[in-house]
Amino acid sequence: MEEIRIGVYVCWCGTNISKMVDVEDVAREIETLPYVVVARDYKYMCSDPGQDLIINDIKKHKLNRIVVSACSPRIHELTFRKALENAGLNPYMFEMANIREHVSWVHTSREDATKKAKALVAGAVSRVRWHNSLDKRFVEINPATLIIGGGISGISAALEIADSGKQVYLIEKTGQLGGFAAKIDLSSPFMYSAPQMINPKIDKIFKHPQITVFLNTQVEEMSGYYGNFTTKIKTEEDHEVELKFGNIILAIGLSTFDPSVIENYKYGKIPDVITSLEFEQYLISGKILRKDGSVPKNVAIIHCVGSRNSNYHDYCSRLCCKNALKYSNLIRAAIPDANIFELYSDMRAMGDGCEELYSATSRKNVMFLMFDQKNGMPDIREASSDDNCKMVIEMDEKLSGERVEIPADLVILMVAIEAQKEAKKLAQAIGISMCGNQFFIERHPKLDPVATTTDGVYIVGSCQAPKGIPHSVAQARAATARILARINVGHVEVEAATAKVNEDICCGCQTCISICPYSAISLDEEKQVSVVNEVLCKGCGTCCSACPNGAIRAQHFTDTQILSQIDGLLEKSLQLQEGLL
Amino acid sequence: MSEEENKPKLKLAVYWGAACGGCCVSVLDVHEKLFDVVANADLVFWPIALDIKYADVEAMPDGYIDLTLFNGAIRNSENKHMAKLLRQKTKVLVAYGSCSYMGGIPGLANLNTKEDIFERIYNETESTINPENIRPQERYEVDEGVLTLPEFYNDVRTLSQTVDVDYYLPGCPPQTERLLEVFTAIVTGLGLPPKGSVIGAAEKSQCDECTRKKTENKLIKKFYRPWEIVDDGETCFLEQGVICMGPATRCGCGNRCIMGNAPCRGCYGPAPDVIDPGAKMMSAVATMIDANDANEIEKIMEDIIDPAGYFYRYSLPASILRRKMR
Repeated sequence: MEEIRIGVYVCWCGTNISKMVDVEDVAREIETLPYVVVARDYKYMCSDPGQDLIINDIKKHKLNRIVVSACSPRIHELTFRKALENAGLNPYMFEMANIREHVSWVHTSREDATKKAKALVAGAVSRVRWHNSLDKRFVEINPATLIIGGGISGISAALEIADSGKQVYLIEKTGQLGGFAAKIDLSSPFMYSAPQMINPKIDKIFKHPQITVFLNTQVEEMSGYYGNFTTKIKTEEDHEVELKFGNIILAIGLSTFDPSVIENYKYGKIPDVITSLEFEQYLISGKILRKDGSVPKNVAIIHCVGSRNSNYHDYCSRLCCKNALKYSNLIRAAIPDANIFELYSDMRAMGDGCEELYSATSRKNVMFLMFDQKNGMPDIREASSDDNCKMVIEMDEKLSGERVEIPADLVILMVAIEAQKEAKKLAQAIGISMCGNQFFIERHPKLDPVATTTDGVYIVGSCQAPKGIPHSVAQARAATARILARINVGHVEVEAATAKVNEDICCGCQTCISICPYSAISLDEEKQVSVVNEVLCKGCGTCCSACPNGAIRAQHFTDTQILSQIDGLLEKSLQLQEGLL
Repeated sequence: MSEEENKPKLKLAVYWGAACGGCCVSVLDVHEKLFDVVANADLVFWPIALDIKYADVEAMPDGYIDLTLFNGAIRNSENKHMAKLLRQKTKVLVAYGSCSYMGGIPGLANLNTKEDIFERIYNETESTINPENIRPQERYEVDEGVLTLPEFYNDVRTLSQTVDVDYYLPGCPPQTERLLEVFTAIVTGLGLPPKGSVIGAAEKSQCDECTRKKTENKLIKKFYRPWEIVDDGETCFLEQGVICMGPATRCGCGNRCIMGNAPCRGCYGPAPDVIDPGAKMMSAVATMIDANDANEIEKIMEDIIDPAGYFYRYSLPASILRRKMR
């Protein structure tokens, strides 16, 4: 057997780790462990010079095992595995100890954090001794794409992919395509007709030979992995259909805030207090009328309903200000002598054409009144018979410092944009992360905005954060470009750490066969032993824990490896607690 | 005298620690083959059969005994003393039987503390009246001198947790045929595996030799104890809902229990490299439960009376768990 020669690299991560962990002390102490030939610390192990340090040491010191103690393996395990490969070492001869997320970021005592870091690194050193070389495996990418959500994002992505000749499965939970864009009349700030934009696209979707649309359908479960996902759906006709695809785009869009929880606004109690979404229906029908059929003389539009308020949502819903400005313009055109009031807390209409819309609106005899979200939220009450209006809104006007009363016959609440109710279930089924507001989280907020931490799963449109049509379309096309580029490569590297049967031990009890979630195991009738199909096996390890006599082992997660890691960790931590060892 | 008779005889010892005596009887079970053994070996120490005192063993030179079959677990200071003594006096020390190998039935005492056990035995049992709370003393002075008893340990340990062991011969008790094979191998000096190996057993598990019909259809809706169900005599016990340790247990015993229509109890111990056969079997059985609802699963699990006794019947001290903490 080859002599084991381990190199250990302790990362500072700038000050991220080094401020709480004495990285130099960790390296010094780990260097004394058996089999460790060299242990170093460095500012940024993931940088090119950091990786070169490893590569040069592998060559110079004939290292055959590497431990990097840095951030989470989720972030840089692949980076370092590549570095090993570049140095001619099998990438699986590597183990990472997470001393950032698991140590420096969560501890407040430098002394204890340093001890814990030493124990974790000692565990990794003890484990890596037992690592074996594993061969890379590739499987073909299924060129089909599943798109969940038939709004403008999903539609844009579907057409782009299908036009390139690849199959698209488009799943929509409601009975029609178009999403929110189909529920509005004119889009702000340029007043394009939303139906004119979206209807031809919907027509094209239904006629497209490469697109299969499933309406009134929801995805409940997902299996597989990047390149080869599978889901079972129930169609409208109650047929169960199994779909197979290589990539997923989540475009489930947005939902809106229910304003009835804000007592001041009397939504649901006073009939002519309506939401922005309801007002769009008025616009589509071409009539701005009160519930009693009369034309409103005073219209008030209240901003930030559920947005930018710590009682509801902290975030800005981003689209409401420009839509509110759009409403003032449309109301002015429809009812020239109406009094129009915009009750806002900050004017946040930004982006192309929005500032222009704001100044144009302010020249149209619209009164802008500012309120404070914390003190002085508007309060709506029904007017008395002496009043010349149906409702009175009382508020502290922030700019003048005056308490004012505003007459209103129709009140439009600019309701916040929220994540879809089913977002959480979907995130769990597919295995992606969500923020506290239940929007999906992208892989990197700046550098990787449409991908997720699950390979092959992309998020576009308002399911990631509130956004308008142009941004949604841009994201949809960005995801499309990513997917088509990957399909073009044709294959995807898959987990090499699969399960393996030791035929000398396996007795053919078949416990593993029915438990495998990927149907990757079968019985060799002649030898009476289990056989793992390596292409189907995802290395999940279920069979390995089910196997009663240890005949199936998860490569890279063997009992020996895991127990050695625990041994190394405990030995070091007991050693560091004086008198215990 | 022929060359054969000139050859010095092997010196053989058999000793029991915390044991039931079954292992010693299994040595006797060689029946008339005992003469072959005696032809090749002198029995220099065997408390169940020969009147040789501890002092006689102490007087032997180190390494004097060629082969010691040590059965029984290490439960008290006498067991430990004899394990150390015999290790010193013996060339090849074999942990003979499940108790010596894995802790065995006495090892289940690790589910209790010494105090629990004494409380039960010397105070609580239905036939005990002990108002003065008298407990055994390790030392007691009488006119004639000092009487001593071995110290009763809190933990039951295996032989290899106490001294260095050369080979392990599993079974409760080991099959006599396997003993003869091993004895022959040692006499001839041929066919002995590396030190630390399990001998007298195969690598595969019971299922490999089991002639019952088995499929992948191990879906259990209800667990039965053997007496609660009429065994059809031909279907895998697990597929009938009866817990059989066979899949987690080495073969070599000749499928004895299963041939007798009783599920395997696991005395032959785990397959190579498996540290904790109890955990392995529990996790295998967990995969067989045919339910997805947490409450239903719990209800099905309730049918497993005494899971520790089922899954760790022979292996608790040698397992990762080793004992109940308190």
